[in-house]
Amino acid sequence: MAEARRVFIHAVATVTPPAPLTHDPDNDLGALAKQVLGQRLRQASHFIELATIGARLCLNRAGATAPDMAVYVGTALGEVRKTDALFQQVFPPGTGMAAPFDFINATANMAAFYVARLAGASARNLTVTQGLGSFEGALQLGFDDVRAGAVDRALVGGVDENCFPRTAYVRRWPLRDDEVMGEGSAWLYLTHAEPGALAELLSVQRLRAPLDTAGLDHIVCGAQLGAADTGVLTGLNPGATLHHYIERCGSYPTAAGFGVAGQLEGQPARGQWAHVNRDIDGTLLLVRWRVG
Amino acid sequence: MNSVRIRGYGIVSTYGAGVAPLVAGLRRGTAEPGVLSDPAVAALAGVKVSALPPQMFRFDVDGSLAMVLAAAGEALAQAGVQQPLGDCAVLCGANTLALAEHSDSDHRRVHGSGRAPLIPHPGELAERVAYAFGATGPVLTFSTACSSSANALLHARALILRGQVTRALVFGIESLAMITLSGFNSLMLLDAEGCRPFDAGREGFQPGEGAAALLLEAQGSGARVLGGANLCDIHHVTSANPDGSGMARSMRAALADAGVAAGEIVAIKAHATASRENDAAEATAMRTVFGDKLPPFTALKRYLGHTSCACGAVETVAMLAALDAGFVPPAAGFVHADPALGCGPLTQAQPAAAGAYLLNYFGFGGNYASVVVAHG
Repeated sequence: MAEARRVFIHAVATVTPPAPLTHDPDNDLGALAKQVLGQRLRQASHFIELATIGARLCLNRAGATAPDMAVYVGTALGEVRKTDALFQQVFPPGTGMAAPFDFINATANMAAFYVARLAGASARNLTVTQGLGSFEGALQLGFDDVRAGAVDRALVGGVDENCFPRTAYVRRWPLRDDEVMGEGSAWLYLTHAEPGALAELLSVQRLRAPLDTAGLDHIVCGAQLGAADTGVLTGLNPGATLHHYIERCGSYPTAAGFGVAGQLEGQPARGQWAHVNRDIDGTLLLVRWRVG
Repeated sequence: MNSVRIRGYGIVSTYGAGVAPLVAGLRRGTAEPGVLSDPAVAALAGVKVSALPPQMFRFDVDGSLAMVLAAAGEALAQAGVQQPLGDCAVLCGANTLALAEHSDSDHRRVHGSGRAPLIPHPGELAERVAYAFGATGPVLTFSTACSSSANALLHARALILRGQVTRALVFGIESLAMITLSGFNSLMLLDAEGCRPFDAGREGFQPGEGAAALLLEAQGSGARVLGGANLCDIHHVTSANPDGSGMARSMRAALADAGVAAGEIVAIKAHATASRENDAAEATAMRTVFGDKLPPFTALKRYLGHTSCACGAVETVAMLAALDAGFVPPAAGFVHADPALGCGPLTQAQPAAAGAYLLNYFGFGGNYASVVVAHG
């Protein structure tokens, strides 16, 4: 086994719907799609546009597209709106017939296909889902593959869409009454080359062990990180700065992608960073990176 | 050493629960309807569902989970592995639409009307399986259409070879759902006469359902996963590039990863959905890769139905089961050669020679996976 390579983040991008998040943003991506992609995608869904806009922004910032770039997408719920549309079409009082493109789009990997197609990337292409850990699952795949030399370039995204009314959404994903229903698309472009990198990605971990992460300068708090966890972390990392972001993107299962990429979109402070969250079963989800 | 061993496998298929009835069916060469009469499998092997913590199963053990537990139980028994599995990854390929529909219909059955108040997220099935068997490694669900569980299999190999886990349990699950049935129907991909792979009269496939599981470890007995590849054919959302270039690239990349020359392949298990365009593309691709030395190839969807996201596991297990029983099954449903293809699949079973076999899985979204396994 060859020596593991270091993995660097070269570009990031995030897309969230414009505020207020409580209104139906069904058409809000149109202008953004024309601006970023140069066109609306024919027959594509809101979910696919959400993914492709974010991915294109990230690649534009990286200044890179390559046929050998691998694409990894993490999504907990996939096509929520098209799946709902299919239920209405197929079951009474619907006609019983699924609309062809709604069915095609409801295939969970279709966003990854469009991302690859727009980028001309015909290499590895994986879509994974694992609840709150879906983004971290995709990031783990990309990180491991670059690290092991299986791929040289990886575009990793976390994407989930919401639906309206809120009562329809909470059938699919539990939200507390005080949580704002969000959605978003966040992307990281990874390579093994260091020059020009925004940060070095150090690890992606899913831990059943107690929270004992030390040596951090910045702690990005995931939506499920409780006050007790925060207390432990600040005790272990005195002087570390806590960062909260859910109020900016709303709550959605792959918001961790926004939490990681969003910190790197501005001028991030130097030091050791970690995004910390908990899955529903209590498992720790930890992403660590270093700036500077 | 770049290979891992398939230490055990299990299946619930159109032929019933277990490998034995499947092998008998493949040996008879007769096609089955593709749909299980009772997906809530009566005979659960390897695990007592009633002993599982009820809080893990807030929607009860539905047909999908029952099938997976049965298949996985058989795989563990064949491997001789004790529970809890410990440092074991659980990797799944599943149809998220079907899971959503079944959750909804369960709710309607119980409550008479309405929609389910909460549906489990699509990855929850894998988490339940990991919990049921005491697996503490990574849990991940691959959702890449018809290549889903083949991609899970390739990731299992990578995790073991990189030393990230001791073993991996891979499974695929497909249960019939009205939405997927209606969707494929609206795309005119279903053949009322059943799947006729590479046949001149082919018009599509018959839907299938089933579950299969494979337990992988670095050492021991069993067929070896030598290598494989996953890549994207960006030609079209549902159709392969008609020149077969994407499929050919997938097969070549898999052979290169496995360190196997094209001339060493004993036989191919084609994806073979029996759609006019995709079978033509796959035939062109095979001829491109193998030239005038195209090995015998077979197709399994007339036996098993198209098990969609599960077919990477279901058809791999079916192929291994037949090879272990000493034969390569013919392509059921194939009768009339299509001159436009320039090749045709096996029409008679042939003895299973020791060597490398190529297995193809090609899905929507141009998501292609090819796997090379060594048998014997």
